[in-house]
Amino acid sequence: MIARGVIPRITDRRGVRMRRIVALALLGVIVMAVMGAPWLARYGPRETAPDDQFQRPSADHLFGTDLLGRDVYSRVLYGGRHTLSLALLTAAITLLPGLGIGLVAGSAGGWIDRGLMAFMDALLAIPSLVTALALVALVGSGSAEIALAVGIAGVPAYARVTRAAVLAVRARPFIDSARAIGTRYPGLLQRYILPNAAAPLVAFAGVTLSWAILNSAALTFLGYGGDITSPDWGVMLADGRQAFRTAPWAAFAPGAALSLTVFAIHLLAGSFRAQPG
Amino acid sequence: MKLESLRRRAPFRLGLVGMLVIGCCLITAVIAVLLLVGAPDENGDGGNRIVYGLTLNPSGFDPHRHISSELGIPFFSVYDTLVYRHPQTMDFVPGLAERWEMAQDGLSWTFYLRQDVTFHDDTPFNAAAVGANLDRIMNPDIDSGKARFLLGSYTGYEIIDAYSIRLNLSEPFAPLLDGLSQVYLGIASPTALSAYTKNTYQWHQVGTGPFRLDEVIPGDRIILKRNEDYAWGPVFYAEATDQSLDTVEFRFYTDPATRSLALESGEIQMIGDLLPTDAELLSGNPALRIFRVQVPGLPQQFFLNTQQAPTNDIAVRQALLYGTNRTAIVDAVFQGQSPVAYGPLSSAMPDYYSEVERLYPYDPEFARTLLAGAGYVDMDGDGMLELDGEPLTLRMVFAGWNQMADVAQLVQSQWRDLGIDLELIQVPDFPTLQQHATDGDFHLIAFYDFGVDASILNRFYFTGAQNNWSGFSDPEVDTWLQEGGRQSDPEARAQYYAAIQQRIMEQAVVLPIREYVNLNGISDRLDGVIFSAQGWWPLLRNLLFVP
Repeated sequence: MIARGVIPRITDRRGVRMRRIVALALLGVIVMAVMGAPWLARYGPRETAPDDQFQRPSADHLFGTDLLGRDVYSRVLYGGRHTLSLALLTAAITLLPGLGIGLVAGSAGGWIDRGLMAFMDALLAIPSLVTALALVALVGSGSAEIALAVGIAGVPAYARVTRAAVLAVRARPFIDSARAIGTRYPGLLQRYILPNAAAPLVAFAGVTLSWAILNSAALTFLGYGGDITSPDWGVMLADGRQAFRTAPWAAFAPGAALSLTVFAIHLLAGSFRAQPG
Repeated sequence: MKLESLRRRAPFRLGLVGMLVIGCCLITAVIAVLLLVGAPDENGDGGNRIVYGLTLNPSGFDPHRHISSELGIPFFSVYDTLVYRHPQTMDFVPGLAERWEMAQDGLSWTFYLRQDVTFHDDTPFNAAAVGANLDRIMNPDIDSGKARFLLGSYTGYEIIDAYSIRLNLSEPFAPLLDGLSQVYLGIASPTALSAYTKNTYQWHQVGTGPFRLDEVIPGDRIILKRNEDYAWGPVFYAEATDQSLDTVEFRFYTDPATRSLALESGEIQMIGDLLPTDAELLSGNPALRIFRVQVPGLPQQFFLNTQQAPTNDIAVRQALLYGTNRTAIVDAVFQGQSPVAYGPLSSAMPDYYSEVERLYPYDPEFARTLLAGAGYVDMDGDGMLELDGEPLTLRMVFAGWNQMADVAQLVQSQWRDLGIDLELIQVPDFPTLQQHATDGDFHLIAFYDFGVDASILNRFYFTGAQNNWSGFSDPEVDTWLQEGGRQSDPEARAQYYAAIQQRIMEQAVVLPIREYVNLNGISDRLDGVIFSAQGWWPLLRNLLFVP
């Protein structure tokens, strides 16, 4: 039994390491490209050139041009800044309250736990994109509004995962030992529960981030982004779709960027979840 | 012992589960077969049936109350009007009225009605029925959006005999016949009008037209069936033959990107407002024909706010017109499939004044000079203009229809080159657009409208008029608009409207972009495609199936 288990474990570890390297490399390239937009882009993201509309991808326009003759490559780079910073803000709005609620529910137990979780479950019953759409209808359109709406819609899922992780750690014998030597709860949480619950929490934070990218892009795609000229992957997809049959590249490039980013984050998050021990 | 009993039971359990699975599969298969067999029945109820895609789902379909042009596509064929405009000559021809006469003083019109007409619900058509319709339109409770405006100075009617009715006016109103020829003044069955409330009538409309309303599922479909008794159509309606349409089903395709696909897949046989890029692609498809129909009315344009700084300064407004490269916009966004617009009216209208085309050629240098003359100069060297340290920032409000967002972004970058910062505000629907207009919270606001008679200008340029969003007020233009409505001599009317168009452009009240061209895609299995005088839809009565 043991002998058979050892070998897959090693390959598993290698697999995890490989995955992590690939994910980090991909993310590194994406983040550098997006951060370096002002140096890498050859045109302004809003610079129109109607005479050059629907140019095929070429050396001059790496990803071609759109209906208004804008350079898709430059817009993808600048668009990433908007899309990714919006997603980070969204994820922060999800993670902080989600973590807080999950920790309180998991630690307190009793009626506090039941009450909080009943409320979270009620919210979980509605698909998060529907909740986000309802919220954005309430608060209005704009980038900050989208982050708020999508962020709040994600809280219940993260609270549930946090609570489950806390409960799983609390059931383990070393918690009883720690308690027996007189550790009080805050110390218990800080020194024993959180470090041991970290792997699933980090993994799910990654899932939350990629989910935030997709859902906030979905809302900008639907036209809730406020500024229509702002380059954003969701907005570019929506624009590009209108002329998809004439110039598929205008929608393909932002779509590929979105997919690659989400893929890389998933890979990274998965590598944490799969971490042995 | 334990193992043995398990083993003995297992085959039986598997058998039970297996039977359940097989049973479910069988039921599913039967349902699937039923659905598949049932489908053709639902679609092909025999006869000549087409599906017509509507491009938006208007907030209401009652022609007496609502204003959408789209409602005319189905309901122009459900109703008859007292008079019609001939699609080819644009002249007025008899409809439900066999003949009519205007009194010498122009203060009343008498209509002599056909005596052989019945509504789809067998209510007889007569002067009392016309009176009931006029009463309804004038009733303030029904909030008529357009029908009432089309009646102009109408004050009331007198029933002379069962088939003659006189319409009284407070002052002569030349565009009356034009109004009476539009679907908004279609004559509805008085029985149906009284049977339903003002809100529910739109789903139960009854007219005298060549098609009757068969079924409505709001937001999903509208189905019209041919009126077999129809024998009182205007001269340009064809006789029904074996090839005429029996059933027309309307479905909604609000997302422009889906329209060409629906047309190509054969899901629909006709649709309007194709995306310009798609119309280009489809013109190579032998199974389809593309009809580019110029629609008379107000071009796609921006009203300039004459009441708010800095567009209250005529030099700034003129600079904006000189500084806009309309040809570049129309070529890029509309793929050159629409004419560039130069004035407040479309060149498809009889009273269009072509001299406006000489005004405002694209001249960015002159625009800069005008702006400098108005005091806007680049003080801090950032490439943007300022006046007393305040940057020249303008707000443009538009709804997303008809590629307006693309137009706006090109205008924005053209004006940035002049040093003007243009803020774009896209609103989701007409009520929000109207809200911005009433609040005066804009410098430019996008709008267009359809109509054949130049008196459509009244609603947009008469001092204080309902849709005078630019806040324009010119006593001379007011007088000319009134005179244009009063005069019955076409020559004299044309002169007034020429002067009005010239003045509006001299004052730079509007930035016209393109004349509205409706890009229709129609299956090549349909023949007899004749567009109504209003231009927005083909006459359903004349459409023929090519075998």
